[in-house]
Amino acid sequence: MSKYTSKSGKERFVRTAIYVFLTALCIIWLIPFVYLIFQAFRGESTSMVTYIVPKQWSLVNFQVLFTETNFLKWYGNTFIIALCNAVLQTVIVLCVAYALSRMRFKGRKLLMNIMLVLGMFPGFLSMIATYFILKLFGLTSENSVPGLILIYAASSGMGYYIAKGFFDTIPKSLDEAARIDGASRSRVFFRIIMPMAKPIIIYTIMMAFIAPWGDFMYASLISFGHEQAYNVAVGLYKWLDKEHINSYFTIFCAGGLFVSIPVTALFMALQKYYVEGVTGGAVKG
Amino acid sequence: MAEVKLTNVKKQYDNGFVAVHDFNLEIKDKEFIVLVGPSGCGKSTTLRMIAGLEDISDGEISIGENVVNDMEPKDRDIAMVFQNYALYPHMSVYENIAFGLRLRKVPNDEVHEKVCHAAEILGITELLGRKPKQLSGGQRQRVAIGRAIVRVPKVFLMDEPLSNLDAKLRNQMRAEIILLREKIQTTFVYVTHDQTEAMTLGDRIVIMKDGYVMQVGTPQELFNHPANLFVAGFIGTPQMNFFDAELKKNGSRYSAYVNGAEVAVPEYINEALAKRDIVPEKITLGVRPENLIICDDNTPNSIKADVKVTEMMGSEIHIHAVYAEGKKIILKVQIADMDDQEQVDLLKRTTLSFTLRERTINLFDSEDGRNLAVENAVPVPKKQETVSVAEEVKDKKKGRKK
Repeated sequence: MSKYTSKSGKERFVRTAIYVFLTALCIIWLIPFVYLIFQAFRGESTSMVTYIVPKQWSLVNFQVLFTETNFLKWYGNTFIIALCNAVLQTVIVLCVAYALSRMRFKGRKLLMNIMLVLGMFPGFLSMIATYFILKLFGLTSENSVPGLILIYAASSGMGYYIAKGFFDTIPKSLDEAARIDGASRSRVFFRIIMPMAKPIIIYTIMMAFIAPWGDFMYASLISFGHEQAYNVAVGLYKWLDKEHINSYFTIFCAGGLFVSIPVTALFMALQKYYVEGVTGGAVKG
Repeated sequence: MAEVKLTNVKKQYDNGFVAVHDFNLEIKDKEFIVLVGPSGCGKSTTLRMIAGLEDISDGEISIGENVVNDMEPKDRDIAMVFQNYALYPHMSVYENIAFGLRLRKVPNDEVHEKVCHAAEILGITELLGRKPKQLSGGQRQRVAIGRAIVRVPKVFLMDEPLSNLDAKLRNQMRAEIILLREKIQTTFVYVTHDQTEAMTLGDRIVIMKDGYVMQVGTPQELFNHPANLFVAGFIGTPQMNFFDAELKKNGSRYSAYVNGAEVAVPEYINEALAKRDIVPEKITLGVRPENLIICDDNTPNSIKADVKVTEMMGSEIHIHAVYAEGKKIILKVQIADMDDQEQVDLLKRTTLSFTLRERTINLFDSEDGRNLAVENAVPVPKKQETVSVAEEVKDKKKGRKK
């Protein structure tokens, strides 16, 4: 009897230890976010302080954020870019993935290899070149919103891997059956494959929305010097400059809170599909 | 409802592998053709070329009056049933069946009428509201067939439609396909690797091996007069027995000698041999297991054999034996007329003598495997020389670059 107790006691200990560890990890992960929320509601001063819990709770930071700064403009810019990119990139990625999964054409393997190799280089290597090309078309500075949409959407076909992996798991005979039933290639794609690819569509939309939402590097370069054309990441970051930080820190936190809302909401709403989408490429769907 | 004509059809893949060589066949209107052969013989590829799912490397396929080489599958007016059913998982059974009609912009009333009619023929009316994943294998198969028959296509293609079903269901569905065929008079092309399906369903059977057509004929022709050793071995279970034999002329008639025993050659083979310029001496003699007759040991021209294994199959006994030269043979003995004791005696035998039912023998050229009595018989292909073909393609590509 005692043998069994000792065994289950050991098991219980291990389990407790695991939970303690994970809880600690969660707390550490959550500290910055909690800190951000507290700072956003702090009313006594706008500068950085050494304590976490505000002495005076207030909504004044939000008031300043929406009335006295360009935050709403930036938020709008980011939203437009992310939304357009979500649409464009999803369409492009799914089409590329479907074509590479189903059609056999000359240079298919080569194309896939080139995209794989190109994907190994970080995108910002081409930043300078991209900047000058966009400048040539007049899509920088005050026009950086369409410029950024173009940048994000243009290279999006390269992210076809996961969607292709998903399409590969859908039996080819379904396409063939539909083609014999009288469907053209595009009709097969929209009527047969799309309805079955819901997880991967949602996954692609989320990825396509989130990437430009949080992008700093390209956005700061392309919109350089034009405050009206900033996105949230660039705009908020400017408040962390030496000369701004003491008057804008709490407002920065309030802005940060707002930035995180759409992404968090998106994740929470579509979590189920997201997991399906990520694993869908590997596990037979 | 149309003829299908394949003329010199060839399929070569990009890597140089030739899946189908020079395929010629005329399928008559409303005929049921079965393509059969071991896996990798090119039967499915041929079917897919008729369907338009594979490009044709060379030759011509026509359905009715139209050459369809470059026609999209949707324009060929064909229907196809796939091995894995290929039902659209997000649509109900009703929508699955109606899909083809909807794409053709058939008015709703008509769609409804046709879907219900097809469902009635197949006995799946009560399943119309369900999704494919809620169906059993046999039901899915029926839906797949329903999707094909609802349009009344010119040609009905079936790619191993029964191979995913269990044995009992397969027999049942096979019978249903025969009934179905009477109900919807159209041209059928059916692919299978199962010779029983081929024999029972086909008006004519096309036997293929390594991309070559071995023989085209009615089940009876194939069974009784196989064109070469491959066909002889492929059709019929247990497999046909092959004896090394010598062919000698006694006066005007030929006799074959198996292990010293004389076997008279039937009249029709004699006539065929008389027409030949060269009659080989060393031949292979084929006899089906049921045509080896057990006899007394002292019967003239009998062959002795040692029994290795006996199998009681219920209505017949299979005897695996080895005759003089250590070659394996199988005898199939019908036991309907034997009483229990006789059956037990037969199962316990260790040696036996047998003669050949001379009327049923087939003589094959030992060199190339052709049946000596079948005109225009095709030799059994040697191992395909894929390497040389691949090199040829490479050379061609190089030539183009130059």
